[in-house]
Amino acid sequence: MKETHLISETAGASARRMRRLLFIPLVALAPGCIQVKAPEKPIEINLNVNVRQEVLVRLQRDAQELIEANPELFPQ
Amino acid sequence: MSMIAKALVAPAALLAVLAAVPGPAVAQSAAVTAAINAGDVGERADGYLGIRGSVSAEVRGQVEQMNIKRRALYTEKAAARGVSVEEIAAATGCQTLRRVATGHAYTLDGSSWRVRGPGDPPPSPPNCPG
Repeated sequence: MKETHLISETAGASARRMRRLLFIPLVALAPGCIQVKAPEKPIEINLNVNVRQEVLVRLQRDAQELIEANPELFPQ
Repeated sequence: MSMIAKALVAPAALLAVLAAVPGPAVAQSAAVTAAINAGDVGERADGYLGIRGSVSAEVRGQVEQMNIKRRALYTEKAAARGVSVEEIAAATGCQTLRRVATGHAYTLDGSSWRVRGPGDPPPSPPNCPG
């Protein structure tokens, strides 16, 4: 199996392999896994960026309507 | 804010005010438009107009009035959409910056100003679509 193969190599594994391990559900269930915390921070930052951008995207039509309905406030 | 403080100095502003006292609403946008064309007033990525160069007290006052009215629009729309005023304002900033014409000034961070040069792509603040 792929999973057991990966795990058996973990002893001297590189950081990249460790990260790959995180995506194996079986490993997530095992308590006391040191590698689990490593990627949390960058993922969280990306999520914030996406949420913010999603809000901006969603409001573009409203923004356009505001501008078109009030040309005196939005001169070009 | 620094951009407002920056424009406070001009002694010529007093003279301009005296000259432009009977300014009706039509002349209002004309004076601001002239300042925009001169690159002294420009769009900010936060959805408001900003003062970049030295402008008359008349223009400064009109810019402030326009920003107050913009904020009222944003506040109304934000309530209707269940978002924050800053969010709808920034969304509008995406649009106003995209429309910035060549030779006009804009700022992405509210303090450092740039002028859109010939051949430059439309300014796009971070996180704006497109």
